[in-house]
Amino acid sequence: MALTQRDWNVLARRSRNIRHVQMGLLVGFLTIVSIPVVLPFFWVFVISFSARTGGVESAVLWRACGVLVPAVVAYVVVHLTFDSIRKRLFGAAVLILLVMIGLIVTVGKDLHLHNYRFLANANLIEDLRGAATAGGQFPWVWEAFVNSLLVAASSTLFKVSIATVCGYYLSRFAFYGRSAFLQTLLILEVFHPWMLTIPIFLVIYWIGLLNNLAGPILVLTVIDLPFFIFIMKGFFDAVPWDIEMSAMTDGASRRQAFRHVVLPQVWAGIIAISVLGFIRGWEEYVFVTALRTGNSYWVMSTYLYYVADDVMGVDYGVVAAVSVFYMAPSLLLYMFLQRNLTQLTLGGIKG
Amino acid sequence: MASIELRHVSKHWGPTIAVDRMNLTLEDGEFVAILGPSGCGKSTTLFLLAGIYAPTEGDICFEGARINDVEPRDRNVGIVFQSYALYPNMTVLKNLLFPLRFKNTSNEDAHARAMEIAELVQIEDLLEREPSQLSGGQQQRVALARALIKKPNLLLLDEPLSNLDATLRLTMRSEIKRIQRELAVTTILVTHDQVEATTMADRIICMKDGQIEQVDTAENLYRRPDRIFVASFVGSPPINLVQGRIDKTMLVAGQRRLPVSGNTVSTNVTIGLRPELISTGEQGLPASIVNIEPMGREILYAAQSEIGLLRFLEATPQPRLALEEHVHLKADPGDVLFFDTGSGQRIEGVRLDAFS
Repeated sequence: MALTQRDWNVLARRSRNIRHVQMGLLVGFLTIVSIPVVLPFFWVFVISFSARTGGVESAVLWRACGVLVPAVVAYVVVHLTFDSIRKRLFGAAVLILLVMIGLIVTVGKDLHLHNYRFLANANLIEDLRGAATAGGQFPWVWEAFVNSLLVAASSTLFKVSIATVCGYYLSRFAFYGRSAFLQTLLILEVFHPWMLTIPIFLVIYWIGLLNNLAGPILVLTVIDLPFFIFIMKGFFDAVPWDIEMSAMTDGASRRQAFRHVVLPQVWAGIIAISVLGFIRGWEEYVFVTALRTGNSYWVMSTYLYYVADDVMGVDYGVVAAVSVFYMAPSLLLYMFLQRNLTQLTLGGIKG
Repeated sequence: MASIELRHVSKHWGPTIAVDRMNLTLEDGEFVAILGPSGCGKSTTLFLLAGIYAPTEGDICFEGARINDVEPRDRNVGIVFQSYALYPNMTVLKNLLFPLRFKNTSNEDAHARAMEIAELVQIEDLLEREPSQLSGGQQQRVALARALIKKPNLLLLDEPLSNLDATLRLTMRSEIKRIQRELAVTTILVTHDQVEATTMADRIICMKDGQIEQVDTAENLYRRPDRIFVASFVGSPPINLVQGRIDKTMLVAGQRRLPVSGNTVSTNVTIGLRPELISTGEQGLPASIVNIEPMGREILYAAQSEIGLLRFLEATPQPRLALEEHVHLKADPGDVLFFDTGSGQRIEGVRLDAFS
């Protein structure tokens, strides 16, 4: 059967339409699925800037959503109507401008920074509830922030350096018990570390690191190590032997070959596990709580918990503001290094 | 420059023997190829010389001194890997400078050397590129330059041409030979391709199962192979091998008896005759054509004779003979090689009197 020019055009149009509908359905589905994920973050954000006197002004939330939801729908329409990237970007810019104006009109006068006063006020809880309730134990947020940073950064440093060296050794050297060691690493991943809370507490108590930040740092380092070693081994496995041998015949010692030639090949892996390790340390709650017996040290998670936990009634505005402050570093780290994180599977699966 | 010697060198990997009691001497400035099928231990030999592997037994000597325990970095050996092994995180220039980084070479000297060597292998325009931006041939040149920049005592090439396409292989073959001759550096080329070995090297080491089968010039490997393996590995199309038995003064092969002379001992033999040394004529060994393979410039025929299947070449563009055609095969009886079937060793002093 011979097809005329007209028939070809019909077929082409039909397939274009089908593609459009499919893409529209996909975008719609993903939007609906992501709403429960994104909305809480959005609410926390809005509450932190709008809540007054302890209560949550839900009207502000709904008004803000009333501006944003149509905007998202409008962007979907823009995306489906225009094919060129420039037009889509222009549409997005216009929508963002409209959203800004809409938000200023609808909720603009409700926005304020009062909930963020904890950043400047060292005696927040005393101000909120009176000196008697807190007993003067509650720290300034920056102290918790620095402690969290210390826990996250130093445990990351330990984990990453040990995992790198171990991964290299496992990848490159044959030694007695190598495969048993690798299997043990995997088996360790089966057990959730929280199951070990009590033994860990005892060990830390015996070595005298209770109520000391070194405790959680040590424990966090050890917990992530098996997995990180495994990831790094995968990355080192992907580096060809030839390159290393070549460096050694070129006059480098094994250590120099490692530093100048092998290490640069696994940077992606190191960055990936560094981000993961940092976020794990930054978020840590269970072990920092378990390894202190009073309020000997504060980190961000315990600070947030204390702000949110009160029988007298909670100031949700402050809780939201602390949450946003707590989230910010992880979020920034993730945004900047996201590309490196996606490479994780690349090295990881080679086990 | 060093004269290099392997004395009784073996390398074992657990129960497997990669290199088996190898003895070898190389002269200054010589270009030697190690030829053998994959897994015969030729690359292992190379890595033993570079110091990447330590020998299980035996001595490796440079200029008469035992260097078994000398670290690879101190041996001053340049090596080009099959994969080229360029450092992906460095530009071409940095790759070239890498070997000088660990020798107390001043910056100006190092750059001057890099320029000089880049000119020699013709990569002056590529110095700022990343290895990933280079073609296979260019990577090959960079790897060669990097191996040569430190003026090595010994240059090792591990299947350097096997990742290149056919035309590039041809140019790189003559390029490597030109550079080797210009620098007069002792060079060992590892290859499984007999054409590479015969065209580039002064001498060829033919290896099998970790042992040296024969060390000789390309011509001798072809004309006077010491062993059946060498005869069958060198030469394309492969040599005709026919099983037979020497019975006093007669060679019994298939249903045919051919007269032999010389110091004949009754034993099982394999006779070898190169396809290019057989022709057809009015008289000779009767045979019938069973297969015809045009190879472009030549035609390869297979003929079933009374002593067995024999292949022969004819330099005609079109097949002159037809399938099942009866022909008479001619050959100079002196070209027929005798091997002891049991030991694989060539039997000298035995001559076929007539090939018919």
